[in-house]
Amino acid sequence: MFANAIAAERFRLLRDRSTLFWGFIFAPLVGFFLSIAGDVFLRQLAKKPLTGMPLDLVGQVLKALGSGASVFPALFLAIGAAAVLAGDYRWETWRLLTPRNSRPHLLGAKLVVVGEAILWNLVLTVGLTLLAGVIGASIAGKTLVVSGSGAGLGQIAGVFAVTWLEAMTLASLAAVIAVVARSPMGAVVAVVVVRFVQTVLAAGLGSMTPEPTWKTLAIPAYSADLLRGFLAAPNHAGL
Amino acid sequence: MTIALEAVALTKAYGSVRALDDFSLSIPAGGVFGVLGPNGAGKSTLFRIALGLVRPTSGSASLFGAPAGDMTALRKVGAMIETPRYPPYLTARDTLSMLALESGTRDADISGWLDRVGLGGAADRATNGFSVGMKQRLGLAAAFFTRPELVILDEPTSGMDPAGIQEIRALIVDLARKEGVTVILASHQLDEVRRVCDRVAILSKGKVVTEGAVGALTASQVRLRLVASPVEQVLAVLGDKGAADGPDAVLADIPRSEAPALIRALVNAGVEITEARWREADLEGVYLQTLKSSGAA
Repeated sequence: MFANAIAAERFRLLRDRSTLFWGFIFAPLVGFFLSIAGDVFLRQLAKKPLTGMPLDLVGQVLKALGSGASVFPALFLAIGAAAVLAGDYRWETWRLLTPRNSRPHLLGAKLVVVGEAILWNLVLTVGLTLLAGVIGASIAGKTLVVSGSGAGLGQIAGVFAVTWLEAMTLASLAAVIAVVARSPMGAVVAVVVVRFVQTVLAAGLGSMTPEPTWKTLAIPAYSADLLRGFLAAPNHAGL
Repeated sequence: MTIALEAVALTKAYGSVRALDDFSLSIPAGGVFGVLGPNGAGKSTLFRIALGLVRPTSGSASLFGAPAGDMTALRKVGAMIETPRYPPYLTARDTLSMLALESGTRDADISGWLDRVGLGGAADRATNGFSVGMKQRLGLAAAFFTRPELVILDEPTSGMDPAGIQEIRALIVDLARKEGVTVILASHQLDEVRRVCDRVAILSKGKVVTEGAVGALTASQVRLRLVASPVEQVLAVLGDKGAADGPDAVLADIPRSEAPALIRALVNAGVEITEARWREADLEGVYLQTLKSSGAA
């Protein structure tokens, strides 16, 4: 039954091009084009190839993944999550579905499918970051470097998982708000506000107390940043 | 006898309004059962409770013996409640495919059903461009295509053109009679109910006012039609049991056993009777009379 609900929800999302694009593709695309634009601008400014300047692909990917659930991407992830989670309230289509599967299954399936979409969003972020690195290096004349090799892959996997979990805390919030408010807009606003407040609190409390405390660790954005910092540079993290 | 839908002392209150009030009804499996009643009589609320969409305030409802909302029982049910709505980005075919996945139906003949409800040519169009009638047709396909044992239809032909109404009526009867699907149908169109249903229940103010076979209900409200002259004298003899039916006829609301005495009395009073015939009420008459008796109309 739960597998049926997941299959149906996945089927729906794959046909909802608007949600797929704005929710899960747009933000990585913006990152890709901004990165290319940055390299074009740099090349124009320098008026010559930046030969010898290294471009660390692993570092670029870690950086892109690290900000994969920051305020700007979170806005679009919230749009995608809200469309999936609250769409049946918006379109008044619950009546069509609830006689065919249980509500817990239907809601759970939506969260699972949002989780899958966020996963693919992060995969796309990695892919486009690598592509932007290669294209950008050729435009600006930088030298491509792959640091860490084996360790780099582990770091990427770890940061990927942490960012996915961070994004899923926001998706879960969107699910709760969607059910309570029965409104996609309510879910989007709640997620963006909560993510923004987390950023401000994490920065404020983090600067006041350099050592992590239970208060700061209770802020998902702070904990995620700390974990990502540890994974990227274990010897320099505040743990 | 298998009971498809049973409601026992069912009450559903929305604030101070009681949509269903100590409502009890038992609908046997097989045939087409009509649920009639004015707006607010409780028809949609009954269906919503049966499908687990809302919870009753008190009492119980069951489908095939299982509590309302039980997924095992719901797997035997197809439904179309009020004007159906669909995710606007899905085509008609995708909508049925999605519903098939949702209910775990692997072998649904989606194209066949879209053809059957007259949407074969619009199968790959997004539903947001559909007219109300097309949405109703898709709703019917969605209710029937998983081959349920019971189909609950709330106003299935509203918004359809006359040809479409005839097609859908024929489809409902065909499925009920040939394939043994039990259909529970709520409709304001009494002619539709008369043509399609075997039994009906008339609801008013959240209660069942009357219930029975369509033929029995209409037969129970027979009236004697007298073509006689002078009409005024007939009306005077009948008192409040008589009503004029045109310029030269009177409808007498009396039991069959009183007819000979009435005719004798009229003849003795000098009335010339040229025709006396029992006339069964039509369903509309039964409906209006029932509501009038219950104080709803």
